Amino acid sequence: MSSLNASLATALSGLTAEQGALQTTTNNVANVNTPGYSRQVPVLVSSDPLVLDPLTFGTGVTLQSIESIRDPILEARIQQETQTQGQLGALVSALSQAQVGFTSTNGDIGTAISNFFDSLNQLSTSPADLSLRQGVLTSAGNLASAFNVTADNLTTQRGDIDRNVQQTVSQINQLTQQIAQLNLQISNLEGVGESAGSFIDQRTELIDQLSSLVDVNVIPTDNTLTLTTANGTALVSGSQSFQLSTQPDPTGLQRIYAQGKDITSGIVSGQLGGELQARDQQIPALQSQLDTLAAGLANSFNTAQAGGFDLNGNAGTPLFNPPPAGGTGAASSLAVAITDPALLAASSDGTVGSNGNVEAMYALRNQGIIQGQTPTVYYSGIVFNVGTASANANAEQNASSLVLQQLNDQRASISGVSLDQEAANLVQFQQAYAASAQVVSTINSMMQTVINMKTS
Amino acid sequence: MRVNPNPYPDLLQILQQTQQQVNTDLQQIASGRSVNAPSDDPAAAALLVQNAGQTTETDQFLRSVSSAQGELQNADSTLNSVVTALQRAISLGVEGANGTLNSSDRSAIAVEVQGIQSQMLSLANLSYQGNYVFAGTATNTAPYVLDATSPSGVKYVGNSGVNTLTVGQNFAIKTNLPGSELFSTPGHDVFQALQDLVTGLQNGDTTAIGTAVSEINDSSNYINQQRVFYGNAENQLNSQTTFLNSERTQLAQQENTLGGADLSQVISNLVNAQTARQATLQAVGQTEPINLFNYLPK
Repeated sequence: MSSLNASLATALSGLTAEQGALQTTTNNVANVNTPGYSRQVPVLVSSDPLVLDPLTFGTGVTLQSIESIRDPILEARIQQETQTQGQLGALVSALSQAQVGFTSTNGDIGTAISNFFDSLNQLSTSPADLSLRQGVLTSAGNLASAFNVTADNLTTQRGDIDRNVQQTVSQINQLTQQIAQLNLQISNLEGVGESAGSFIDQRTELIDQLSSLVDVNVIPTDNTLTLTTANGTALVSGSQSFQLSTQPDPTGLQRIYAQGKDITSGIVSGQLGGELQARDQQIPALQSQLDTLAAGLANSFNTAQAGGFDLNGNAGTPLFNPPPAGGTGAASSLAVAITDPALLAASSDGTVGSNGNVEAMYALRNQGIIQGQTPTVYYSGIVFNVGTASANANAEQNASSLVLQQLNDQRASISGVSLDQEAANLVQFQQAYAASAQVVSTINSMMQTVINMKTS
Repeated sequence: MRVNPNPYPDLLQILQQTQQQVNTDLQQIASGRSVNAPSDDPAAAALLVQNAGQTTETDQFLRSVSSAQGELQNADSTLNSVVTALQRAISLGVEGANGTLNSSDRSAIAVEVQGIQSQMLSLANLSYQGNYVFAGTATNTAPYVLDATSPSGVKYVGNSGVNTLTVGQNFAIKTNLPGSELFSTPGHDVFQALQDLVTGLQNGDTTAIGTAVSEINDSSNYINQQRVFYGNAENQLNSQTTFLNSERTQLAQQENTLGGADLSQVISNLVNAQTARQATLQAVGQTEPINLFNYLPK
């Protein structure tokens, strides 16, 4: 049997539901500029009907839940691309700085090599001339300086990147802690059947930030999330976060530890991955090539000196300090060992006027003394290598940012707040509210009618 | 199908890209170079390093050629003076062989020939920029010293060393002749010949004088033959200078091709980039941020 009270309750359910829907719309509009916010939609369902034989009466509407609209697969792809973007960003920055040392200037290594050989040819025109000999020593000194400065700048850069590594690790630790906390809040809410919409948005945003720093695998486990690095090291497990730590190795560079294990070589992506790649692979490779060139030059000239005679008729002594055994550090320690111009072994027969040995030294300019290449050609190879690495990283970064842009566009089209849409919703819910309110008014006057039925 | 409701991040990205393009073009115009860092064009950057090396090498060779030319010309003109002096000695000798002269006449001629001997010694001991030219490679001491025990009156204390100088890739030239190959070669010894003339004059021995005159003639011819070396060397150096200059021009052209900015192209790029940038800015600026909320009844 129908009743006015039942209708009143039904109308009331409409008011409540539309109010709730309105609140959702208001929340969306307020969050239109919040990064990572996914728009929410109210899920309105018919309340369970009441069966009174032979009739079934509806009982109104219930705001069942407020759902956030997001695409988890898209978000996973965005996180992947963000990792790549982070890694490439760190690489591009490191390489563009490293290549400054190999840009043509008056003091660069290529120029210094040429000037040194030029001074030898000049000495060859008058081998006993002390000022020409001094010219050779001066240009040898400039050559050593050019190597020292370039190698030292790379070492300094490596140290700077090392400091960045430490900062990145502490940023990672902050983020994993925050994510773990959010995991706790989310599972508490979902545990009592509530939707944790905006917390999930915040967590997604934090995971994106974490992805730009390090490689991250997101694994849903037991109603919560586990985050690990690409090679399986745990970062977050439910409400627990696992901190990374750094320890210096014997050379003073930081290694990354997780739960006591050294995971440095397992980090391949994200800004940390890029920084480690620059610090441990790209820059050392450059330094090693410089060392090969410096050691090769030093050894060749020292051998050439020994094959001739100085102005005093004695056999030549080494022109450069011998490079370190194994070659590492040859570039930064290259130094001229002779200060007295008379000690240059220009002569091939012991007389002061012979230029035979200078001629032999000059010939090294066009001989394959550095791994089969002439010194200038070998140096041009280093320039090519650093330029190519930098250009490739730039190109990959551009490509990656285009992909990321597209993915973000897609995400925004699914989850972004459209003010047009929210305005239309506002009108819609407002009208429904007004209609329900009108129904309540009508029922009220019907009740008045009933009450006033008892008259006279 | 929903579309991205917020176009501003994409537009900002495009603005950044156009700004990057403008910056790159401005840098190329300001520097005149299309390769300002190795990553701009790694292959060109590497070739530019090699080009720069070859360019300085070519410039250095031009300097060395000029140095060698100075040295050789100096030696050659000295030998010219030597030959002239020897011609004078020959005419003195011919005069001295004349049977009508008496011993005091011959003595006077002998004294003049001794003067030529001194001159010859100082010519053979020529020093150029601090080095003795005809000493082989023992250039720090005079190659000929007076030696009373020697039949020619002098002794050669230089050596037979010869220097070569690299003045081009795979091209080196000999830069000196030792005195022993010019003035005191056995059979063509200038000093011996002059001494023989002096002795002949002092002894009044016309046969000896005649022999000495032909010795001097012989040496003079011999020296002239040796001077061919200097002539050839000078020719080679002249050709080398021409060659090096044309190398230099080619290298400069190559350098410009590899690394010079094509200014008209870059300026045209810049104008396009600025136009695109302006158009984007205007489009963004003129897009009014309106949505349905603006139209709801108040």
